[in-house]
Amino acid sequence: MEETGGNRIPAIGIPRALLYYRYGTLWEHFFRALDVPVILSPLSSRGILDIGARLAPDEGCISLKMFIGHVEALIGKCERIFIPRYSNYGYTDLFCTRYEGIYDQARNIFHTSGQRFITCNIDVMNGSPEPKAFEQLGVELGFSERESRQAWKEAAGALEQEQRANDRLQKELAGKPGMKVLLAGHSYVLSDPYLGKPIRDYLEAAGAVILRTDALDPITSRKASARFSPTCRWLVSEEVVGGVMLWKEKVDGIILVSAFPCGPDSMTNELLIRRIKGVPVLPLILDIQSGMAGIETRIESFLDIIRFQKGEMV
Amino acid sequence: MSTQNAFLGIDVGSISTKAVIIDEHNTILAQEYIWTEGNPIGAVKKLLGLLEKQLDRDTWQIVGVGATGSARRLVGSIVGATVVKNEITAHAVGTTTFHPDVRTILEIGGQDSKIILVENGIAVDYAMNTLCAAGTGAFLSSQARRLGIDVEEMGQYALQSAHPTMIAARCTVFAESDLVHKIQMGHPREDIIAGVCRAVASNYINNVGKGKKICSPVVFQGGVSKNVGVVRAFEDLLQCPVIVDENGHLMGAMGAAILAKRGLKRTVFDFSVEKMDFVTRERNCGGCSNNCEVICVYRDGSLIDFWGNRCERGAVH
Repeated sequence: MEETGGNRIPAIGIPRALLYYRYGTLWEHFFRALDVPVILSPLSSRGILDIGARLAPDEGCISLKMFIGHVEALIGKCERIFIPRYSNYGYTDLFCTRYEGIYDQARNIFHTSGQRFITCNIDVMNGSPEPKAFEQLGVELGFSERESRQAWKEAAGALEQEQRANDRLQKELAGKPGMKVLLAGHSYVLSDPYLGKPIRDYLEAAGAVILRTDALDPITSRKASARFSPTCRWLVSEEVVGGVMLWKEKVDGIILVSAFPCGPDSMTNELLIRRIKGVPVLPLILDIQSGMAGIETRIESFLDIIRFQKGEMV
Repeated sequence: MSTQNAFLGIDVGSISTKAVIIDEHNTILAQEYIWTEGNPIGAVKKLLGLLEKQLDRDTWQIVGVGATGSARRLVGSIVGATVVKNEITAHAVGTTTFHPDVRTILEIGGQDSKIILVENGIAVDYAMNTLCAAGTGAFLSSQARRLGIDVEEMGQYALQSAHPTMIAARCTVFAESDLVHKIQMGHPREDIIAGVCRAVASNYINNVGKGKKICSPVVFQGGVSKNVGVVRAFEDLLQCPVIVDENGHLMGAMGAAILAKRGLKRTVFDFSVEKMDFVTRERNCGGCSNNCEVICVYRDGSLIDFWGNRCERGAVH
């Protein structure tokens, strides 16, 4: 699709879904450092999910459907929509193939819209590490290599700072009195305002202190996952598993939150359920038609079990 | 003459509605079990009518009401429940009261199944079927229909079989096609029925009970526990006796009544709801693109409760 001239807002659109919840800070800081305006899609809602479910492939997970809904919300509202391809950070640090395919999937789904897209490949195994990927992205947007590299450095620093702050906050929360519940799962499920927020709200209203695997230092978590399994395939699964390994003795209960149907989770969560002993584990699978009723029943009874264990009257 | 305190527990499930009235010592004063028939409000009204006849109201006054089961919210608001609790907790409380030494509670109902692990009379872990309702009461009912027998007769047929047919039980859809195949291959009916019962039990152990250590004594309840074929299949698979309490179907209601008794809230319950008119309406909020479906409950024309809204914008006044 050729450039249509100046009749569009010269801004980059970012879908607020999937890896946005992991790398959003990096992306936004990168574009901001280059003075490129950024437009975010609105917060997740039933409406966005319904649109995504209609457009996305049937077999995709609920989070992919949500993502496609977010892309749709940006069509015609920005110059280009940014969807990076995350493949790997090396042989042992692989991403679920989902993230590698979404750029091409989105382009195909919206190929008649005239919307332009932009990507970059984070693929260490094929000679494209993150700094290089973002350097090329900047060059494609018309900036020099040096400017682009500098922008990536700033952005990477901001992400690191955010991760450190998150990790610190988790440790503070762990020291708080009261019932502690660890939410284990992908950040695009736990952070999503439509999918994960009702779960967090429910737990908070019940007086629980919420800890999250996705807020822990990712490198420490990945190292810890080796104690559980040295052959955990996906990078994010390693962080979920590692987070559980690090915190299982310090929490009163663990909720494995998963978006149906998630291939990686179906492996790791099964293993966790079978192998984690001594602390109640609740698998919670969110699917597209579920109301809150089933979720509430499961969380409420799970909290009751924890209270029973602590000898508190239910 | 002053009355003594009594407590009502109501358990409204997808298939059946159960209720008990107990005294301070958990003695059952009245009990009833009827079909929900897709009408939880009607079922509860009918149930209360039946209970009222059983209770000597000059002696007993109901001061606490507990509601549980999948329609607990709706029914709780209609009867003015003092406690509304999920069915897992209610079952755990009810069962541990009557079987203090229980270690494992197996529960298979009309649309879901659960396992509760108990240590020293305290529930310590549980699991519930996730997305799929394979191997619950609804599956047995539909297979019974296919075989041309009543679901209540299944157990007796199953016991006559010496060679239960192997039936794939991972998924209801596969189980059904496997079952049809086995029927057409000429397997005797009692063997097929025993196979279905075995499939329900092994599916349960592999799915709901996966990774859980099932210790004896084992108590089995929920509607499916009335099927002796499934009971036998569990005993074979677990290699231990499986206890089915004659009041097993009432354990959720018992738990709800006991929780109402333990709770601090008190009420004066007088069966007048039987004669009141309740209407529910669904309203799409439209406040944002979540477009929440808000359920409103009206008593004799005035709003008494609502739920389903994700935020304050969906509140109904």
